[in-house]
Amino acid sequence: MDYKPGICTFCGTGCGHFLKVSQSGVDGVFPSRNHPVSRGRLCVRGWNIHELLSTTDRNTTPMVKKSGTFQPVTYEEAITEAVNSLKKFLPGETAFLASPRSSNEENYLFMKMARSVFGTNNISTDTESGHRNSLDVLNEGTGFPGMTGSIGDIQKSEVLLVAGMDITRQNPIIGSELHMASMNGATLVTLDSRTTQIARLSDTFYRINPGSMKVLFNALASAMVANNLYDKSFVEKNTENYNEFIESIQAVDIESGAKKSGLTVEELTRLAELLTKSKSAMSFFTSGISGLDRDTIGSIYNVFLLAGKIGKEGCGVNPIAGINNLQGSFDTGCAPDLLTGFQSLADQKVRTKFESAWQQALPADGGFDFDTMMKNGSVKALVVTDHDDGIIKYRDSLDSVEYIVYIGAFRNDFQDYAHVVLPITSYIETDGTYTNTERRVQLSSKKMDGDANVMPGWKLLQTIANKAGANWNYTSPSDVMNEISQLTPTYSGITYDRLSTSFGLQWPCNTSKPDGTIRYSLESAPRKPLFVKISMDTDIPSVTDKFPYLLMMGKAQHYWHQNNLMHKTHIPLREYNATLLLYPDGYVEIHPDDAKKLGVRDRWSVRVVSAGGDMEIMAKVSDEVAPGRAYIPYFIRDMITAFLSKHIDAVEKGEDATIPVRIEKV
Amino acid sequence: MYIIKKNDILNLAKELAKDHTMYGPVVEDSTGQAFFDRVDNIDDIDMAAPIPTLPPKHVLFPHMETIMQYRYDADQKKAEITGVFDESRKALFGLRPCDLEGILCMDRFFLGQEFVDDWYREHRSRMFIVTNTCIAPFKQCFCVCTDSGPDAKEGYDINLTDIGQYYLVETGSKKGEDLAKAMNLDKAAEEHSREKTVRVEKSITLFEDIAVENKAWISRVMNRVTTGFIDEAVWEFIGDQCFECGACTYVCPSCTCFNVVDINRKDGESLRLRTWDSCSYEGYSRMAGGHNPRKPVEDRRNKRFFCKLSYSQSKKYLRPGCVGCGRCAWVCPGDIGLPNVVTYIRREISK
Repeated sequence: MDYKPGICTFCGTGCGHFLKVSQSGVDGVFPSRNHPVSRGRLCVRGWNIHELLSTTDRNTTPMVKKSGTFQPVTYEEAITEAVNSLKKFLPGETAFLASPRSSNEENYLFMKMARSVFGTNNISTDTESGHRNSLDVLNEGTGFPGMTGSIGDIQKSEVLLVAGMDITRQNPIIGSELHMASMNGATLVTLDSRTTQIARLSDTFYRINPGSMKVLFNALASAMVANNLYDKSFVEKNTENYNEFIESIQAVDIESGAKKSGLTVEELTRLAELLTKSKSAMSFFTSGISGLDRDTIGSIYNVFLLAGKIGKEGCGVNPIAGINNLQGSFDTGCAPDLLTGFQSLADQKVRTKFESAWQQALPADGGFDFDTMMKNGSVKALVVTDHDDGIIKYRDSLDSVEYIVYIGAFRNDFQDYAHVVLPITSYIETDGTYTNTERRVQLSSKKMDGDANVMPGWKLLQTIANKAGANWNYTSPSDVMNEISQLTPTYSGITYDRLSTSFGLQWPCNTSKPDGTIRYSLESAPRKPLFVKISMDTDIPSVTDKFPYLLMMGKAQHYWHQNNLMHKTHIPLREYNATLLLYPDGYVEIHPDDAKKLGVRDRWSVRVVSAGGDMEIMAKVSDEVAPGRAYIPYFIRDMITAFLSKHIDAVEKGEDATIPVRIEKV
Repeated sequence: MYIIKKNDILNLAKELAKDHTMYGPVVEDSTGQAFFDRVDNIDDIDMAAPIPTLPPKHVLFPHMETIMQYRYDADQKKAEITGVFDESRKALFGLRPCDLEGILCMDRFFLGQEFVDDWYREHRSRMFIVTNTCIAPFKQCFCVCTDSGPDAKEGYDINLTDIGQYYLVETGSKKGEDLAKAMNLDKAAEEHSREKTVRVEKSITLFEDIAVENKAWISRVMNRVTTGFIDEAVWEFIGDQCFECGACTYVCPSCTCFNVVDINRKDGESLRLRTWDSCSYEGYSRMAGGHNPRKPVEDRRNKRFFCKLSYSQSKKYLRPGCVGCGRCAWVCPGDIGLPNVVTYIRREISK
């Protein structure tokens, strides 16, 4: 048989697939019918993944930049050059940028290398603002830093609430699960500022005002309390600090909150009733680069706790990761203040455990994430692994960075800024595990030999570490996983042997939960859940005479995250071009009524002007946006650097990001 | 007509394996999923395996295939172009009748019209086909409604039917007859062929429980699709559920659309690839210059079902484009596999 089982590594859903591996390479893919997550389905990206895996646009030889141009060299020379150069910088000036695409093993070794070999806690992915907010809220609330429900529970839930996420585009197979559940009788509710596909498929769709998600959820919580539409006995029995929360939420004005978000008080009350009176309910929102801010996530979580819809079957607050191993990159400690499994670096006991396992003192001072360091210009040396094109957004601020090492399987435009490029094999040419959005750790086994001259990531990292003075002796990725399980309570029951005979294990997986954990449950939780403290401010972005449109941002299916990988495919690339050839410089979506007012037609140029800057862009006339609103899919690269970089604060709100603008006919 | 003892059935495959690359129904160990794929070991062929999730289409029309290679020599100002063909002899063993009908549809597309596709022809011309009658339908099947089963009527070299202790061996070509003779198979008696009739009749009656409202309405829906009297709102309802993933096309035994791309490899060699394509993709019908006659997703869905369920399209295939295998319903992230679409249209007709 030529079809080999594996997992898709595009988004955080973690679908099962088979790759057709022949002598010529990977030339086909087929969905896995018995896989518990995808159950025989794949999306447009997954159905064409073989096109990416057979690209020749790969890094195949180590390169060192000599007088401005890259020269092919041996690994020995490149690694020696990289290590000697990196050693010249202080730990505080050195940043390690991990990738949410790398395997758990690669990310763990990368993190270990940053801390124990180069002595810095400046280790992060560049998705801090998104998924980290989700994990922080859930950790503060429940002590469970991951999706509290699971994908399999969707079919067991009575009410499914999608909060501002274009889920059928971003994580299509989870979107499919929601649609299937709705066809089977569950009530599907979508809150969004745009009429997305999931909005059209919903039983109820509320087109809310841009940037009003938090205001809406706080008003909803207030309405639940005021009308006694919350699960009082659940809250009193199962939660701590509810008195404090109820007191604070009562101060939120329901009527003004409803008005600001674009709902009526009756609609808000109906929603309260639906969430509380149903047996089970789940919420879904995007997590990652375009994730929501902490307060908004907290407001969603608090409503679900108030409705008694956390810790039970068919319930949960579910941040949906955009990238395949985003959850895993946090699980493996790729954050300045975290070690593996969300263990705090500040915890002396944890530090001692790692220090004795690694036989190396850990740096004491807390590190910084890459985004923060780039903003304050403190990065002098940078080590980056396999990244999407999004990283290119930093190119204009790279002047202060003196030395860059890029490690990656696929060619990426960012590597042109590097001084040393180190190739690694792609994910099918070595073993590795990936943790999907529902905490499912899955093994992707090696399916073919890569270029004989290219090292797998784990081996390369070990070689670099040893060159820099460490003494690592891993003989396989499985060895690395054994070390992760020893040091990580939530991963302690996970081994390659167990993964190879299953469709993955959901953490926590340990002696008390040997088969993993489907969902966070009240019974087995070490403590009661807490309401999360959030700001109750009710400011929402509003239009002025000068800036009468609210501009929103979002992802698009084929090109999410300005995806470097999609460039290397044919069909998904064509699908992207279907849009981009029509709108070569990107587009701003406006309502037909507004187009009429402005005197423009589809594909005419307009100027979008904000308080921070302006750009010329084509209009796409569509009734998916409401009048007075405008929408830009933020996959269009130049727009990010030129325009959005002036609105970093707004962009950090992710999918809820909103900028007041004026639109002029050009 | 001949018979062969049930336990000896793979001897037939072993004989073919002497000069053919063998493909057959196999169940993947770790996931329990049935495929119709290349087999390394004949004993892996599982004649009782459920209908393979992957139809045999990929053997003749691969998901992605290099069809041409070229290199330009700048010094000599010469280009060297080579067609790349797969000339191996292939045997498809234990093919289900619906999948054979899929191949016959592909034959009519790739070979039977104005143009003959050389690449398809090379895959196809040395092929040996052994079909396996479905003496019981699988849950999602509806071949009786699309005239493609449960037994194969034409196009096979050998057709097998499980008649208890034996398989009935019917030959459909000289190649098939030669093989049966070379293996010295026993002649079938009349009771054997009668037993086949009984079993096929039995199989057809079993459809009554599974091919209910949706599937049984196929001929009526074909009439409706052909005449174009379906309310726009029905197509919109269907279009809203399309995730534009391409799965229905990719698993369809009779879908033949493809994309052609040229790849300039780093080593100077250029490759021309042919890959599967799907009418569900927006870029599929976009023309040079940007106009797209089927831009809204519901128009693209409408196209698919016109292809599968209209008389005009049937004229090209000499049968309906749908072969009743039910795979599109398995893989659809929306709920618009063909049987459901029939239901949606039926609801409108019944109104």
